[in-house]
Amino acid sequence: MKRTVATALVALLGAIAPAAAQSAADFPTKPMTYIIPFNAGGESDISARYQQAEWEAVTGQQVVIQYQPGAGGAQAWSQLNSLPGDGYTIMGINMPHTVLQPLAGSVGYKTEDLVPVHYFHYTPDAIFVRAESQFKTLADLVDYAKANPGLVTFAGSGSNSSNNLAAIRFNTEADVKTTYVPFSGTGPSVTAVLGGSTMAGFNYATSGVTQGDAMRMLAVAADERLPAFPDVPTFKELGYNIVGGAYRGVAVPASTPEDLRQRISDIVSEINKRPDFVQKMESGGFVLTDIGYSKMNDFVAARVEEYTEGAKALGIIK
Amino acid sequence: MDILGYLLDALTPLNLGLALVGVILGTVIGALPGLSATMAVAVLVPFTFTMDPAAGLIALGAIYTGAIYGGAFAAILVNTPGTPSAIATTFDGFPMAKRGDGGLAVSLATIASVAGGLVGAIALLLLAPPLAKVALAFGPTEYFWLAVFGLTLIAALSVGNTVKGLIGACIGLFLSMVGVAIVGGDVRYTLGMQRFLAGIDLTSAIIGLYCVPVILDLVANPDPHLKPSEAGGLRLGEGVRVAIKSKVNILRSSVIGTVIGILPGAGGSIAGLVSYSEARRSSRQPESFGKGNPDGVLATEAANNATVGGGFIPTLVLGIPGTPPDAIILGALLVQGIKIGPTLFTTDAPIVYTFIWGLLIATVLMLPVGLLIGRYAYNFIIKVPKALLAPTVALLTIIGSFAIHSNIDDAQLMVGLGILSWILNRYGFQPSPIVLGLVLGSIAEQGFVQTWLIGNASGRVAEMFFTRPISIGIILAALLTLLLPMWSDWKKNRRKQLSRTDDPVSDSGSRIAPEVKTRDLPSMAIAGLFIALGIWIFTGANGMSPLGAVFPWTISAALAAFSIILILQHLRRPSGPASQRRPQDPGSARRLALALVMLAWVIALPMIGFLATSFAAFVLIMLIADYDRPGLRTWAIWALTGLAICAGFWWLMANVLMLRMPAGLFL
Repeated sequence: MKRTVATALVALLGAIAPAAAQSAADFPTKPMTYIIPFNAGGESDISARYQQAEWEAVTGQQVVIQYQPGAGGAQAWSQLNSLPGDGYTIMGINMPHTVLQPLAGSVGYKTEDLVPVHYFHYTPDAIFVRAESQFKTLADLVDYAKANPGLVTFAGSGSNSSNNLAAIRFNTEADVKTTYVPFSGTGPSVTAVLGGSTMAGFNYATSGVTQGDAMRMLAVAADERLPAFPDVPTFKELGYNIVGGAYRGVAVPASTPEDLRQRISDIVSEINKRPDFVQKMESGGFVLTDIGYSKMNDFVAARVEEYTEGAKALGIIK
Repeated sequence: MDILGYLLDALTPLNLGLALVGVILGTVIGALPGLSATMAVAVLVPFTFTMDPAAGLIALGAIYTGAIYGGAFAAILVNTPGTPSAIATTFDGFPMAKRGDGGLAVSLATIASVAGGLVGAIALLLLAPPLAKVALAFGPTEYFWLAVFGLTLIAALSVGNTVKGLIGACIGLFLSMVGVAIVGGDVRYTLGMQRFLAGIDLTSAIIGLYCVPVILDLVANPDPHLKPSEAGGLRLGEGVRVAIKSKVNILRSSVIGTVIGILPGAGGSIAGLVSYSEARRSSRQPESFGKGNPDGVLATEAANNATVGGGFIPTLVLGIPGTPPDAIILGALLVQGIKIGPTLFTTDAPIVYTFIWGLLIATVLMLPVGLLIGRYAYNFIIKVPKALLAPTVALLTIIGSFAIHSNIDDAQLMVGLGILSWILNRYGFQPSPIVLGLVLGSIAEQGFVQTWLIGNASGRVAEMFFTRPISIGIILAALLTLLLPMWSDWKKNRRKQLSRTDDPVSDSGSRIAPEVKTRDLPSMAIAGLFIALGIWIFTGANGMSPLGAVFPWTISAALAAFSIILILQHLRRPSGPASQRRPQDPGSARRLALALVMLAWVIALPMIGFLATSFAAFVLIMLIADYDRPGLRTWAIWALTGLAICAGFWWLMANVLMLRMPAGLFL
């Protein structure tokens, strides 16, 4: 019923008002739906909830968050383009997931099918050990790994994930042999580090905030030191060229017109500048990025190249 | 005592009101299969953003604990766990209801849930920081053995029919592998179909495997769904007496539930299964479990509500959610700007302790709320005519399986598995081992592969598996559970020396069909199909990464081996007279019609729309289920009721739960 009424209203408006009144400048005129392709409580959900708190101030309308978890996000992404392209339904989108999943197997969508309009942050990969660990610095860990090939175990979130890529990259960059152990998400992999099941963990920097003194971050895969962790060196500083993590953004169905894509990108950009939002995100260990619709093609192309390289190292593609 | 001071903060009228409303809402949502605690909490999170943090938390906690408890209603009254944590409640709850003790079972579930909830919440109040260490002591090895322990329950659930139980478990384990693998990342057994990528959804599978056979049997004969109780009502006094007699069981199950709740990723279903298994093992009449023993209901319900308090321990102390609803509540706290973690209990003590007291109050409120809703639900199920009951339950199964992911694929899978389950059940393959395999499969697989990876890194695989102290404890408990029923079975057989045809306990409502002692050709044919399935699973694993292929190889080999054993067993038996074995069932025509209607329903739903399809199916099922042939007036009233029920649920889903409804021709 609601849908019919809404459709009728839209049709009526379309008949009365000139087409220009429906332009992107007025968008949105009703609440929007924001689909998160993961379960609630993860980084994707939390960052979207932070956005939700600012949404009405920026757009004049609310946003409703829904969850459509399954197959590491593939369930939702494979259905994205079947949703209406009126701009009112948007979906969270993640890298490297949307590059690695189609490479690994038939998941119902291809990387180039999806239309991201804005990547607004990333959570850098970082190496953690628990407080009691013998490793005080990354150098300690590298020395130990060199003396005992294969013995150092890293817990991480899932196979073929950003954590997994970073662990493989670390092996090459530091010229060591370590073992990556996949867990079903951030929670279980952090538990494994804290409980000493594995010697260390490749997790996201955000875990460092929730765990406080219980875990020590040895190095972070960001360009610059994080505001929340001024004492933790980057891999780059230590001589290892590792920068990366999970990028999160907003995508729209492919049928969405260009002006609406730009408008939604602008909304996300604007939220990214709100002081409250910046403060919450940065103190949470998220790193804000401003990759809008105009920069999207270059950004995606660069990531695809990087992750295809990584996929070879992971053995996903030959 | 600072802690007591916070009790007063929790006792404000607003907090009490939120706790009461939360418990009522949670119980109703939990009672409807498919509408889970996770969903209820997720929908309500935005409303708590504007509330005071403690008040918001109390509302969410109350809904959560109410939903876990509400799952028992559907389990007892229609043999379908309202939430996965009530799986083991069906084992004894439904047989009790069948024989006329449904009211008593509801009372027992209520008492046990309150007791378990209180134990969990008190542990959270007094012992949270030290208990959080339990979560860290459990490594991948312990999770693996815990899953194996859960699987040993199959031996107990399928006494006299063990091989079929083991085959069922292998099927369940196979179903758990479908989709994208967590370890290894392989895409497994999806038949190239998009719908299987996310795997077999546990909740829709449970609804299909347990509930569809019940509806099929419901329409097949004119007998009432549940035998009316002679005493009537919920028999609360009797319930209290039974509960007091079983206080050790309740306490043990509550403690098990609290500890398993602390383990991230284990959850209420495993807590229920483990404490059920323990209750059975320590009982003086283990053979009466699964046939309506009140202790089975008490154990499961005490344990699953204890996981609520237990689950909050790692969530609040470590920032690691114990269960999926905890993950959502954790997110809500972060948005409110509260820093979770070791310092929470000191820096934000007022919020935390007010919340915990609120959770305790909500748990106590469950007693009156639950008994009131329980009386209403029980009377409804007893009194409502079959022509209305059958379509309503069928509608609930469709809604429940659809609502989880707003995905009609899940509803189609539910109906398909349900019909398959009815056929398999007819030939002695019960649904419970399949469900156990499905629930425990991914935990067992991940634990196994992780342990192997970690052990292999240091060259100590065997030590990793067998020498960790907690693991040894779990292995011993598993061995006891496995060997005790076999041993008592063997002893009994020795004593009797003849095929046991009579059972010491009344068999009414039992889910264990008396095993046919003659050669059974259909069973052998099904076993033959399973051998083929095993070969297909095995060859399908060849292209996978080593991490992803280990488990499929093991399971397919086991499936084929058990199937061969079953065929050999039957070959050794005398072939019985063909005509006597399976008398023609007079209800078959109605069953077949119902199965076809349900299939058509889920196929047409995305094309035609929810409301139109559901109402049409509702009326058709009414016709199929009717034995009374009432007048036109009654028919009109029933049809109107059906319309109101369909429209009400449609409105609830579209506007309250805000699910994306299929856009068909009509609504």
